[in-house]
Amino acid sequence: MAIDIRNLSFSRQILPAIAVVGLVLAAIFILTGQPDREVDEPDTSPPSVPGSLANEARVAGSGVVEPSSELVQVGSALSGLVTGLYVQPGDRVSEGQTLFTVDDRQARAQLREAEAAIGEARAAIAEAQSAQATASSQLALYRNVSDPAAVSRSEVIRAEGEARAAGERLQLARARLSAAQARASSARTEVGRLTITAPIAGEILAVNIRKGEYVSTMGGGGSQPFIEMGQTQPMHVRIDIDEQQAPRLALGKPATVSPRGAAEQQVEAAFVRAEPLVVPKRSLTNSAAERVDVRVLQVIYELPASAVGENGTFRVGQQVDAFIPAKKGQ
Amino acid sequence: MIWIAIRMLTGDPQKFFGLVFGIAFSTLLITQQLTIFVNLLNLGAAGVYNNGNGEVFVMDPASVTTDVTYPMPSTALDAVRSVEGVDWAVPQLRSAAAVRTAQGDLEQVVIVGVDDATLTGMPKRLVEGDKSDLRTPDTVMVDDVGATRMFPGLDPMGQVLELNDQRVVIGGITDTVPGFASTAVFYTTYSRALRYIPGTRNRMSLVIAQPVAGITPSQLVDKIEAETGLKGRTREEFTRDGIDFIIANTGIPFNFGITVALGFVVGVAIVGLTFSLFIRDNIKQFGALKAIGVTNRQIRKMVAAQAGLVGFIGYGFGVLATVGTMWAFSSNPFFKGFFVPWQVPLISLAAVIVILALTALLALRTVFNTEPAAVFR
Repeated sequence: MAIDIRNLSFSRQILPAIAVVGLVLAAIFILTGQPDREVDEPDTSPPSVPGSLANEARVAGSGVVEPSSELVQVGSALSGLVTGLYVQPGDRVSEGQTLFTVDDRQARAQLREAEAAIGEARAAIAEAQSAQATASSQLALYRNVSDPAAVSRSEVIRAEGEARAAGERLQLARARLSAAQARASSARTEVGRLTITAPIAGEILAVNIRKGEYVSTMGGGGSQPFIEMGQTQPMHVRIDIDEQQAPRLALGKPATVSPRGAAEQQVEAAFVRAEPLVVPKRSLTNSAAERVDVRVLQVIYELPASAVGENGTFRVGQQVDAFIPAKKGQ
Repeated sequence: MIWIAIRMLTGDPQKFFGLVFGIAFSTLLITQQLTIFVNLLNLGAAGVYNNGNGEVFVMDPASVTTDVTYPMPSTALDAVRSVEGVDWAVPQLRSAAAVRTAQGDLEQVVIVGVDDATLTGMPKRLVEGDKSDLRTPDTVMVDDVGATRMFPGLDPMGQVLELNDQRVVIGGITDTVPGFASTAVFYTTYSRALRYIPGTRNRMSLVIAQPVAGITPSQLVDKIEAETGLKGRTREEFTRDGIDFIIANTGIPFNFGITVALGFVVGVAIVGLTFSLFIRDNIKQFGALKAIGVTNRQIRKMVAAQAGLVGFIGYGFGVLATVGTMWAFSSNPFFKGFFVPWQVPLISLAAVIVILALTALLALRTVFNTEPAAVFR
């Protein structure tokens, strides 16, 4: 059936042609319009189990990096103005090294006062000693007179009394000296307490005071600790394990730990200990209204030395994800 | 012989166009309504479709869909991560909140908090911005339909809003399917979502997990359910749950079912009446054909050819019209994400064939009973 242009029928030829074209167009529209429901790989990989544990029983937990000494929040025994600050964050300090000093002018004044009192007491002792010597030699003189009529009885009594009084004055002066010495030593202790030293050897992690600021024994502004320090060699991680998962945990096995946001940088951390106390989970959302009834077992692991330090992946306070093998058959 | 049948059919243009129109109209009605129906139901699963990563969703046993969830304690994430066969698992928070716009209006929005560290669970595509922009402080990303609704005539980027007394800046627009409730959806990080939503004790709505290679999502679901006591769903199951929720809680399936049935009835009525009238009118011609020795078998072929042509043209136009309406409305935000599922035109094709077969069979019965003498009556 050749199509003759003069004999072209709208119903028999053009309409079916339009229908064919329409169907093709519709098919294209429908097939290209199908929604894309494919699942993507995440851009950044979430923490995933290490290959060796993928098909093994394991327990997952999250935690925080901490110094092996735990975090030491250095406080001040006395309140006052900070007059000297000798460390900055990142410094390594040895035990007993001065961290900061608090205004000690008053304590020093008390020390000088006590020292003056010592001098005074010493002078009083010397004076009492010479008075005693005079009195006793006078008494000896009267005693040595053989003629009783030469010295009146009352003279002798007076001389005896003076000698006794001089002895007691000497004792008093000695007591004053030791009181002044005690005062001086307490003032010295006070001065010593105004110098705050490192309780352990470690690294200074945070310094929240500046020279001239007031430190009180109640803690700093916003109840911040003045100086935070800790032993960062080695570094530990404290992993929270849900109490329901805790019985499955194979204690003693190393954990695979990765920092938040860098899940591919996994390291193996050695078991240190499990805390004997199961504590309420502390969520790190900083929400004041946080209420939790989930309790967690805290397990401590030691990070390898290569993963910490200046160029390491882990820093104190950082959140981590961890995978730990479970007991066999659980 | 077939050609004679076609000429017979097109000989009377009015009847021919009537037939074509009837088929086209019922195709349009069935296809278009089924399409809208399927798409409306799909809105119930928008939360799953918009989630770009992960094959398995884990939730409290009381949770039903992405938006009807009972929150879990935060350690549920660790419990899921502890299950053998889980490659990774991330938390997700979904909750409704009221946002105050710069104009002072209150708007209901859905806040979706995705994993802080990896942003896993964000929609796949963004209209504007980059996923990593979420790491900028106070940033949220709004879905495109919600953006047009919340900021009519304004550029949503950089708009400042207030959520639970906190400042929020729009830093991106996602390319997503709007949900059934058609509230705007704000995507942000998990920790920020916690701040934006006034607190209840447990906050985590979902855990999204991925099986390791070699384990299917449904195997993983079984393991997770056995080990954690939580409810697991594969992507397909969770999609189905969202759709079932709409079916169970709205009148949509019933109402659209009625419309689709009406389309079918209208098609049968128009086409059936016109077609049987047409054959009845041509009964003399069939009689003449019979008189010159044409068998019933050949007549059956002729009628089949007529029905086929009418059906083909009508169906073609009907589908074209459906696609045309969908295309015309595609710029309307209400129709965002609507598409014609490829199964729907096939269903309407089957319906057209049933309609034509039914009416042709009825009409043929009279033809078969016709005696050649009918020519002379």
